[in-house]
Amino acid sequence: MTKRLLMASIALAISGSAYAQAPAPDNLEKLSNFQSTGTTEFTVIEQGGDYAEGIKRTLERIKLPAGFKIGLYAIVPDARHIAVGPQGVVTFVGTRKDKVWSVTDRNKDRVADEVKDFAPSLRFSIPNGPCFSPDGMLYIAEQNRVLTFPAAEFFYESPDVAAFNVVKQGDLIPPSEESYNHTARVCKIGPDGKLYISLGQPFNVAPADKLDLYREVGIGGIIRINTDGSGREVYTYGVRNSVGHDFHPETGELWWTDNQVDGMGDDIPPGEINRQTAAGQHFGHPWYGGGDVRTNEYAGQEVPYDVVMPAVETVAHAADLGMTFYTGKMFPAKYKNAIFSAQHGSWNRTTPVGARVMVTFIDAEGNASTEPFAEGWIDENEEYLGRPVDVAQLRDGSIIVSDDLAGALYRIWYEGN
Amino acid sequence: MRIVMIALLGGLLPAGTLMAQDASTDLQDGRKVAGMCRTCHGLDGKARIPIAPHIGGEPVDYLISQLQAFKTGSREHEMMTVVARGLSDDQIGKVALWFNHFTINATLPAGTSEDDAPELCVGCHGVNGISELDDAPNLAGETNIYIETQLKAFRTGKRTHDVMTPIAQDLDETEMQEAADWYSKITIDITDPAPK
Repeated sequence: MTKRLLMASIALAISGSAYAQAPAPDNLEKLSNFQSTGTTEFTVIEQGGDYAEGIKRTLERIKLPAGFKIGLYAIVPDARHIAVGPQGVVTFVGTRKDKVWSVTDRNKDRVADEVKDFAPSLRFSIPNGPCFSPDGMLYIAEQNRVLTFPAAEFFYESPDVAAFNVVKQGDLIPPSEESYNHTARVCKIGPDGKLYISLGQPFNVAPADKLDLYREVGIGGIIRINTDGSGREVYTYGVRNSVGHDFHPETGELWWTDNQVDGMGDDIPPGEINRQTAAGQHFGHPWYGGGDVRTNEYAGQEVPYDVVMPAVETVAHAADLGMTFYTGKMFPAKYKNAIFSAQHGSWNRTTPVGARVMVTFIDAEGNASTEPFAEGWIDENEEYLGRPVDVAQLRDGSIIVSDDLAGALYRIWYEGN
Repeated sequence: MRIVMIALLGGLLPAGTLMAQDASTDLQDGRKVAGMCRTCHGLDGKARIPIAPHIGGEPVDYLISQLQAFKTGSREHEMMTVVARGLSDDQIGKVALWFNHFTINATLPAGTSEDDAPELCVGCHGVNGISELDDAPNLAGETNIYIETQLKAFRTGKRTHDVMTPIAQDLDETEMQEAADWYSKITIDITDPAPK
């Protein structure tokens, strides 16, 4: 205390009095014991108004295949990955800040009525990745913790919800490896009932002195664990920063997007959509920067693993993020089991690319091809009007798209011609 | 030259026509460089993504020192290292002028007492998160996780600074969170005092 105040005095040229030191109550422990935390207030986001009108004007510019429509579903600040409740009551939306939003459409007019923060008594840290199990357990993957919320669609009405650790704070990755960038975790429940969680590695190109640790922990990979947190294993190796994955509805194979190396040029290396056919496969980072483009840092070095090349090479730097397989009945038959994915858009390409929703068709042999589905979020001045992050399917077969620049969810539905 | 221009921009010296033109040219050059920054930091320095800080109205010296730190590798960030290594000293100076020339106003949340501001921070970063020093960044309105990340970087040595390193080494998690929360709840408004 003395040393600290001394430093402060030197630095600030002010005299210090007692520094407030209220120990944070451990609300997670209370909620795990079904106790009240005393928290009563929600942050409720206004829907409608001038802000919504501005977004609706942007949506008028968006081009879609014939017969499809797009509309504003909800204003959701910093909206990232989406988990639609299996009962169709609540949609949960993660952020890269400290909130998770619950979005409800009570009157079922396919526009949200209420958006408020979920579990406001808990302090989240980068709760980017919510996901549901089929039996209604909500999981939220944060920077360095995974929580579960039983019956979240029931409890969300109250500021206090039932909440339990799956992976307790500090056990998802070593705290010394924490970062803010490349820390947008995504989770999904696999056909085996396990939780699959992506762990981006924080560098542009992972340095050699980190590779052993990363391989052991699964940083720069995708891990899987049982839903009680046990049985952790690294399922996927050689990932740079994956921010979207899902399981093929028929084959059960894991498909995932990856963001590739920056600073090598506007048009290399390509982005990736990957298909994984077995546990433990390696996808090339850091020896490969994307596709078969070798990184400068590891140029000429022998690659110590058998590497799986991407199923699809996407346009360089477009930032392919969230994805979902389409299993609904609303869209035309050709979209069955296709991937809908979001391109967030480039951040330092000379001319920006991306900021659109893509669709990937997979034929009977497993060959995949990707094309734009919804685009128009980059204007004539090369300014972003929105940046799509994730795609999820509602129970009626329409899809919703999150946008963390506009802070919104959009709904895309099919009306036919 | 830099000091002269800052003074001109601040309106502290009578501006000769020639020098005013120089300053205006530098500013426009800086605006061009800022095209590389805008997807994350906004062309006006109001960040568009939570992991990026607001830099509109930031002190010139701080902006230059950080860009140079990214360029030389003494500070590392997956994105900023890539950007800064391609910038010349001249570009760094001009883009710093561009972002500095904005005016930032900060407003405490309603019902907040200035007495509750984190005492260790206010001398340099201000009660309202507007820097009091050339070498300190504004903190107003930054995402709390951004501020915490920086404090932890000082604690672990990923960033170093004569003042910040020892302060951060002596803070516990709760103190870091309280300081970060104070500044993140401040509302900011960034405006161009001389729109072109």
